[in-house]
Amino acid sequence: MSTAALWQSIFNGLALGGIYILVALGLTLVMSIMGIVQVAHGEIYMIGAYSVYYMVAVLGGNFFLALVVSTLFVGGLGVLLERLCFRPLRGQADRAFTVSIALILILQNLVLAIAGGNPRTYSSPIGGVLHLLGVAIAWKRLIIVLVGLSLLVALFLFIKLTNTGQAMLAISQEREGAALQGMDIDRISGVAMFMGCGLAALAGGFIGSLFSISPTMGSFALMKGIAVIILGGLGSIPGAVVGGVILGLVDGVLPAITTAHIAGLIGFATIIMILIFRPQGILGHE
Amino acid sequence: MVSLLSSAVLIVCLLMLPLFLSGPYHMHILILTMLNVILAASLRLINLSGQISLAHGGMMTIGAYTSTLLVMKLGLPTWAAILLAGFSAALIAYLVGFPFVRLKGIYFSIVTIFLSEMVVLTAQQWEDLTGGSTGIFGIPRPDPIVIPGILNLDFSSKVHFYYLALVLMLVSLLILFAVERSRIGLTLRAIQQADSLTESVGINATGFKVLAFTIGCFFPGLTGGFYSHYISAISPDAFSFLFSIYILVYMTVGGDKRFAGPILGASVLTILPEVSRPLKAFMPFLFAAVLIAVIFFVPEGIAGLPNLLRRGRSGERTAHA
Repeated sequence: MSTAALWQSIFNGLALGGIYILVALGLTLVMSIMGIVQVAHGEIYMIGAYSVYYMVAVLGGNFFLALVVSTLFVGGLGVLLERLCFRPLRGQADRAFTVSIALILILQNLVLAIAGGNPRTYSSPIGGVLHLLGVAIAWKRLIIVLVGLSLLVALFLFIKLTNTGQAMLAISQEREGAALQGMDIDRISGVAMFMGCGLAALAGGFIGSLFSISPTMGSFALMKGIAVIILGGLGSIPGAVVGGVILGLVDGVLPAITTAHIAGLIGFATIIMILIFRPQGILGHE
Repeated sequence: MVSLLSSAVLIVCLLMLPLFLSGPYHMHILILTMLNVILAASLRLINLSGQISLAHGGMMTIGAYTSTLLVMKLGLPTWAAILLAGFSAALIAYLVGFPFVRLKGIYFSIVTIFLSEMVVLTAQQWEDLTGGSTGIFGIPRPDPIVIPGILNLDFSSKVHFYYLALVLMLVSLLILFAVERSRIGLTLRAIQQADSLTESVGINATGFKVLAFTIGCFFPGLTGGFYSHYISAISPDAFSFLFSIYILVYMTVGGDKRFAGPILGASVLTILPEVSRPLKAFMPFLFAAVLIAVIFFVPEGIAGLPNLLRRGRSGERTAHA
């Protein structure tokens, strides 16, 4: 493979990594603060993509406005789900897990009924390429990396500087202790679901500008999100970033060297190895 | 005693059923139901040790390919191949079991999902052997069983497959029941309730968890072997992530506390979509609604309903008194 082609696949991998980071950040927020495994996170991401599709391709709206509206809308959906499904089952992780399985069925088939099973596409309004080191970098990919990075910084500052952010950190570390200190777990869980689902929706909205979308696209995102969280350690924001970049690069570069199937096999085997030999993740702690 | 009698009655009913319902469509649904019963009941054995496996789809795929390839490439008799399909899935479960069961809770479930995905990818990649993404077609039917004058099963009709599936289900349930009632089953329950305590009294909890996973994966392997010869085709993604999820749903809706739970859950949820065919488009919603209703209102599942009703009635009586 030529150097230019290698750089090209590295860059594509970074853009993919940006998507993975958004999905994984949302999932890690939801999982560590609510103490549940929300397997319908992939469907949330899918709904984010379809909301943008309807606003851009069907109604002819502005792509960026659609991204913002879809993020807020899906975030609100997350708050609703927390209130109706997960709050009554707090502390019963296995039952909450089963309910989120039911949510996969409901959300996937709801979108299937409304939009049909055919793959859909919409295009990003940002055209053109940036030439750098002999590599053509599409702006629509670069924008994902940039937005991903700035959200990351924003989330990091939010958790470091605001009371709500500090309460989130406290709850993820010691739920009962935090409740005894008078932290409102109901409210914080709602905020976590809003942010988590919003991030997933944003990732979905972006992926639709690169690839076609379908009602079953969610399980791919869920797998990648879980893999990133395992790589980086649950609840760790820097971990999710490192994990997302690594997995993005692996998924961007490996298929260019071998086949997509072998690349997938290597990916899964690596994650299993990490779980077995370093369960706290690359940057996580016991 | 009562349950023994009712089981006997049920078995006689199932044996006679093809006399009344022998259309290929009804037979097909009943065969699928019985396969789902085997799958859900074997998932419960793994569940007894406190682990939720989502590898049943992957294990079925392993079984289906093993049996198909043994028959089509090596010319083994189908019966030996189907049995070996079960053992191949059990072997793989045994090998990955030791590292896997060290992972607690959801992390165990996650690696079982990844294992299933790896099975799919391997089947897609290994084109020379598995036919890649298109899979394999024209898989031969099981070898005929002929006892002159008494029995002539050549598997040309679905009724023959029905009886084969029935035998497969009854034998599987018998084995699973025996395992659960044995010391193994008791030990598994102890491990589920207090993992580290059982270790401290000298029980090899890891070994027993691996044993449960191995036995629990034998049956999907066997079912996969049967399925490939029944449908006569197999493709890598026939039993996806969602398939494993459905098996888990059968078990949960039926109730994982009782042996009858997964049997009831798999039967109701496989037959329900068929009897309500006008509602077919809404089936996933109905499915999800049943699941949510069970989680919120009947935590012990369908099998726990009689108990719940009895308690409810005695509760009323106390209220009146």
